[in-house]
Amino acid sequence: MVLAVKAKDLRVGYMDEEENILWAVKGVSFEVRQGEVFCLVGESGCGKSTIGNTIIGILPPYAVTEGELYVFNKPVVVGNLRDYTGIRGRVVSYVPQNPGTSLNPYQTIGTQLYYVLNSVYGWDKKKSLEVAKKYLSLVELDPESVIDYYPHELSGGMQQRAAIAIALSTGAKILVADEPTSALDAHLRLQLIKLLMKLRETESLTLILITHDLVSTGKICDTVAVVYSGKIVEKCSGSNVIIEPLHPYTQMLADAVPLLGIKRPLKSIPGEPPKPGEEIAGCVFAPRCPLAFEKCVEPPPSFNVYNGEVACWRYANIAGR
Amino acid sequence: MPDGNVIVLLKDVVAGYQTTGRGWRSLFKHVNVVLRGVNLRVYDGERVAIIGESGSGKTTLLKVVLGLLKPVKGSVEVLGKDIYKLPWRERVNVLKQVGYVPQDPYKALNPKLRVRTILSEPLESAKAKPEEVEGRVREVAKMVQLSDKILDKYPGELSGGMMQRVLIARSIIHDPEILILDEPTSALDVSIQAQIIELINNIHKKLELAILTVTHDLGVAQYLSDRAVILYKGGVIEEGYIDDIITRPKHEYTNLLIASYKASI
Ligand SMILES: Nc1ncnc2c1ncn2[C@@H]1O[C@H](COP(=O)(O)OP(=O)(O)OP(=O)(O)O)[C@@H](O)[C@H]1O
Ligand SMILES: Nc1ncnc2c1ncn2[C@@H]1O[C@H](COP(=O)(O)OP(=O)(O)O)[C@@H](O)[C@H]1O
Ligand SMILES: [Mg+2]
Ligand SMILES: [Mg+2]
Repeated sequence: MVLAVKAKDLRVGYMDEEENILWAVKGVSFEVRQGEVFCLVGESGCGKSTIGNTIIGILPPYAVTEGELYVFNKPVVVGNLRDYTGIRGRVVSYVPQNPGTSLNPYQTIGTQLYYVLNSVYGWDKKKSLEVAKKYLSLVELDPESVIDYYPHELSGGMQQRAAIAIALSTGAKILVADEPTSALDAHLRLQLIKLLMKLRETESLTLILITHDLVSTGKICDTVAVVYSGKIVEKCSGSNVIIEPLHPYTQMLADAVPLLGIKRPLKSIPGEPPKPGEEIAGCVFAPRCPLAFEKCVEPPPSFNVYNGEVACWRYANIAGR
Repeated sequence: MPDGNVIVLLKDVVAGYQTTGRGWRSLFKHVNVVLRGVNLRVYDGERVAIIGESGSGKTTLLKVVLGLLKPVKGSVEVLGKDIYKLPWRERVNVLKQVGYVPQDPYKALNPKLRVRTILSEPLESAKAKPEEVEGRVREVAKMVQLSDKILDKYPGELSGGMMQRVLIARSIIHDPEILILDEPTSALDVSIQAQIIELINNIHKKLELAILTVTHDLGVAQYLSDRAVILYKGGVIEEGYIDDIITRPKHEYTNLLIASYKASI
């Protein structure tokens, strides 16, 4: 078994103007096997993108790290030292969260693909554009026209697909996709997911998907890590997460998803996740948890239950059985 | 079909974007047709969803309704007026009755203005009295649950959900007859999505306005519409009550959409 990514007690923070460190990721440990589809789910602001950006190596200079992160056994983060030489853009590539703002507005899609292919493989313009068209067809864009389009000439979903094409064209072994299908209709989303699954088979691509949609995640992921307030509160298999969510937070995330043909009232999770810098002494979710009890003023360890891991005191008694 | 006044009426609308080719092709101009003869009716107080695949022309259709893109053919009536035949000033007056929340919340707000100013500006430019402006801003802020603290912030300091509330507040500031929303929840997490869905439905009840929502998400459409129109490659291929469409889709594409939805969610 080859490990594509391994995080050991990883912490990531951002320095504010007064030089305080606001921790966005507060000690996470996980392993992603090569060829695995690994998913980070949770509400906005919980630290998903920060974890993703740490793997890709695009943290801003004022970010602070602790702990360790390995990509194919190469240490890329050790304490506050970060070195992504030979990894960034080559081994790890990414589909950014907001393609509308991440595509270069002054270059056609073809030119942007050419720059990537040229820098990775050294191909000239003619060869690059030929290959570029293949990637555009892969994401169901009409290659002949889209290659000459500027981003503003594409619809929201087309921009998202163009960004995916650019990410795939690097030939990277690990793809971190931050909310890659949020602007796509069900049909296209399924096509894209099938495409990524195919690449996983043929290229043993490792996929790290970041999303807030627990239900669709469960259908495609091998492993799901539920992130809340910079911590992994539950980790389990994709199939288990829908059938048997363990953490109350996971259950509440599932209840907020609209299901087709079933018109139940949608429940949002009351309140909001803690702001960075806001320290919570006990369980991070307790202030919003309908099931919280006395014990929850202490931080829960991770309990092993039903082939999963959950940081919730309600499992203290049945853990390990 | 619902009765009452027609708020928006599109007849055989053909629309697209003028393109100039690259290189020597730039000598020729032609229109890249996106909407191919669209008919649409939105009645007073009803909730309509426009559903369609990415690139099918949903946003383009809204631009046509909002007076931002003149169709090549066909007519666009808003509140009984053919907007593209009106003189500019009158067109602006009619379109004041149309609230609009654009697709990309992050690009839609001026980053240099405080939320309070973002909300008061449209009133001031419509020459409302200062005390009226303040009262109206307070009223609308209350309706979308924006606290005083948020009113003093800049857009860059807001979360996606708050930003969407600000955009909705701005869109209803003139008490419009119709509220148009382009993918109002696709940039939000599911929990906030549920809140925004509830908010839009509350506004619908309170202000008794029509709601026209563009979405690619059938699940969301279930909660935000009574009637739906399915757009496919620039044409309407199916329309009817949303519940009927979901249980008994007629067109092949609608069928595919529903099957894919069930497979991935
Ligand atoms: N400013 C523009 N200039 C030229 N072509 C454009 C422009 N905006 C959109 N288009 C083209 O019009 C077509 C429809 O785009 P539109 O934005 O209406 O799609 P949409 O249905 O809203 O899709 P999405 O769900 O992805 O937002 C696309 O083929 C797109 O390339
Ligand atoms: N570049 C950045 N600079 C400063 N703070 C950031 C930056 N990126 C994210 N944060 C903060 O870190 C926290 C986690 O954000 P993020 O990782 O984007 O979460 P998610 O992807 O789960 O929405 C948030 O409070 C956010 O404000
Ligand atoms: Mg994010
Ligand atoms: Mg659109």
